[in-house]
Amino acid sequence: MPGVLIVEDDKGLREMLKISLVRRKFTVIEAGNGKEAITHFKPSITDLVVTDLIMPEEDGLKVIIKLKELKPSIKIIAISGGGKAGPGSYLNLAKALGANAIYSKPFSISDLIAKIEELLEYEQQT
Amino acid sequence: MKKNLKISGDDDYLRSIVKEKDISDQIINHSRSMISIINRDYIYEKVNTTFCEAHKVVFDTIIGKSLVEVWGDETFHKVIKSNIDLCFSGKTVRYEASFDTPNLGKRYFEVVFRPLSVETGEITHLLAETLDINDLVRSKQAIIKKEEELRQFESKLPIGFLRCDPDGKILSANKAFHKIMDCHDDVSFASMNLKSFYPEEGLFEMQYDQLLDSETKSFGRVTLKNCNGEEIPCRISGFLAVDESGNPSFIDFAFEDSSRELMLENRLLEAQKLETIGALAGGIAHDFNNILATISGYSEMLQEDLNSDSSVSEKVSKIQGAVLKAQSITNQMLTFSRQIEQEKIQISISEVLRETIGFVKSAIPSNIIVKSRIPSKDAIVFADPTQLFRIFLNLMTNAIQSMEKSGGTLSVNMVVVEGKLVKHELNKDIVADEYALLTFKDTGEGMNPSLIRRIFEPFYTTREVGKGTGLGLSVIHGIIKELEGEILVSSKIEKGSVFYVYLPLVKSYPDSSGKKDSMKKIVFITGNKYESRILSLALENTGYELIYISDRRNLIKVMACSAERPDLVIYMSDSKQINPEELTGIFRRFNVNTPCILITDPSQEVLEEKLLNSRIVKQHLIKPVSLKEIRNAIDISLR
Repeated sequence: MPGVLIVEDDKGLREMLKISLVRRKFTVIEAGNGKEAITHFKPSITDLVVTDLIMPEEDGLKVIIKLKELKPSIKIIAISGGGKAGPGSYLNLAKALGANAIYSKPFSISDLIAKIEELLEYEQQT
Repeated sequence: MKKNLKISGDDDYLRSIVKEKDISDQIINHSRSMISIINRDYIYEKVNTTFCEAHKVVFDTIIGKSLVEVWGDETFHKVIKSNIDLCFSGKTVRYEASFDTPNLGKRYFEVVFRPLSVETGEITHLLAETLDINDLVRSKQAIIKKEEELRQFESKLPIGFLRCDPDGKILSANKAFHKIMDCHDDVSFASMNLKSFYPEEGLFEMQYDQLLDSETKSFGRVTLKNCNGEEIPCRISGFLAVDESGNPSFIDFAFEDSSRELMLENRLLEAQKLETIGALAGGIAHDFNNILATISGYSEMLQEDLNSDSSVSEKVSKIQGAVLKAQSITNQMLTFSRQIEQEKIQISISEVLRETIGFVKSAIPSNIIVKSRIPSKDAIVFADPTQLFRIFLNLMTNAIQSMEKSGGTLSVNMVVVEGKLVKHELNKDIVADEYALLTFKDTGEGMNPSLIRRIFEPFYTTREVGKGTGLGLSVIHGIIKELEGEILVSSKIEKGSVFYVYLPLVKSYPDSSGKKDSMKKIVFITGNKYESRILSLALENTGYELIYISDRRNLIKVMACSAERPDLVIYMSDSKQINPEELTGIFRRFNVNTPCILITDPSQEVLEEKLLNSRIVKQHLIKPVSLKEIRNAIDISLR
């Protein structure tokens, strides 16, 4: 099973993402902020990261940079809902830093999952 | 002086007379005045030493010379002759004039001519006495000059100067004070007291006490009452003058009108407040988007779990619809806080403005007239056309709403103004070369000042609860600020309001060398040509071929032939000619799998549910949509 790391400080949203991914038989690893994601990162079991951008401790941009260093082949999806400098510019920065896809919150979960599957070339065995 | 002295045999007497003559000669010769005796032929018969010294001559050379020779023809005829002639008629003549003297150069003299008569009464000579008053005249001139300078200083500077006695009784005031106090020039302050301009009792006395301590003092800003009873904020400073015995004699006050300064301060404060609210709104929107993403995610999962025709499924769709509506509000909040990225292109303001006016005109009540004056010359801004449309539409809608009851006129004007000329209005240090100044003037209800101050705040609305989010003007404020423009408002109760929008212009037009061969074909289905026009303005030059369709027949024509089929359909839900059922019907009939983007108004919901469930729609956008959103949706759909 491909492993997906969810980095999101909003607990409710993280939970929802987790449930939706588990339904699709992904292995889900959770992190509540960027720092946690970086320190507990396990390259061997993580194939894709879904990361929020504006978070306490280390932000999502740092996560993208750091995880790319630790595992260059990792796929990254950035999600953001606006903040001080605006979601647009943050998401564009994320893209520039190597995020494979970006989504503004609120997004369609089926779109997101379709994207994850596309990136991981993962066909769900049903 | 020629006198025939009778000489007797008494030597002592003679000697004494000679001695006396010597003395008077000495007096005459050493007088500070040039003294001379002139006969009727204008010839010098006698002169004193002072005269000779001034002219650098000896007695012999001047005696017998005419005044013309000594003073020159011009001076003699212009200045001297007439005075001499007057003197010969029996009058003592006194005048001042400047003369060229060989020794001292050009100097001012006071000249006195006294007639001298013989026993018969006939005037044969005159006594000329010429006193050098050059220093006196020069210092007098210097004083006059200084006075003039002071007067100019007092009258030209926009600072009100006022002198009053220690009780506040006004002794004098300059023009600027009249002006600042908006008093007619005829108003005499002489009988008035400065205290009458002060807003509260005891303030003058307090200032006076402070002046007793420190002589000069700046009192800062005080709001005075002008001649019309209106409040005028002024910077006041004072100086207390004392007499020889140390008692206060008068006070000089300087008044500087600081209305403009206050206005700018207020605007800065306003801007800071809006900035703070913006940051707050941005934060709220951010948190809300997290919550909305959660709701939307669960409802999507729920939808998956449910049979599509279950009655629960319908309820879940409603949740999703509500999420979309909430999202459009959070988006507006982000626009207010300038956190939504606008995709900007170079676009003609006049074109967008004309389309918007057309759009508005198609739906206004009959008691409202819309007038517009828009120059044909292109004014290009770098902006998202859909956002411009929003600005214009919102301002016009507000104007129309304010005139709904009694009717009126909405005037929309546009002019191009030079940046440096409107620097003050824009309150910016750096300005663009040119700005489009758009004015939206209505003759509606108007607003009171406390309302004007708050209209750009988010969630502030004058409409009834539930009739709008109150985000309209705040969003517009956000968009205009993002465009480096400015929006100002002036309003009078029962007279109407004027909104001024300044947008910086760009110089060049982009070359629209689109990749014609690879152009994707997009069909626009819309009931309103103006709005679709705005969208097309937005998408022109972006590499798409746009086709507008507003009726069923044309849609069938395009869809029937698979070779003619577009790459994408954009369906605006206001389309009256083609309703959602018809659209899905046509798609099914010709087995079309062209992706479709649905754009809806947040107020419509029933209509699009069917469409959303039909699986034709790939993307759903809720108005107001930005160019970026449409572009993103198109990119995703065509991928």
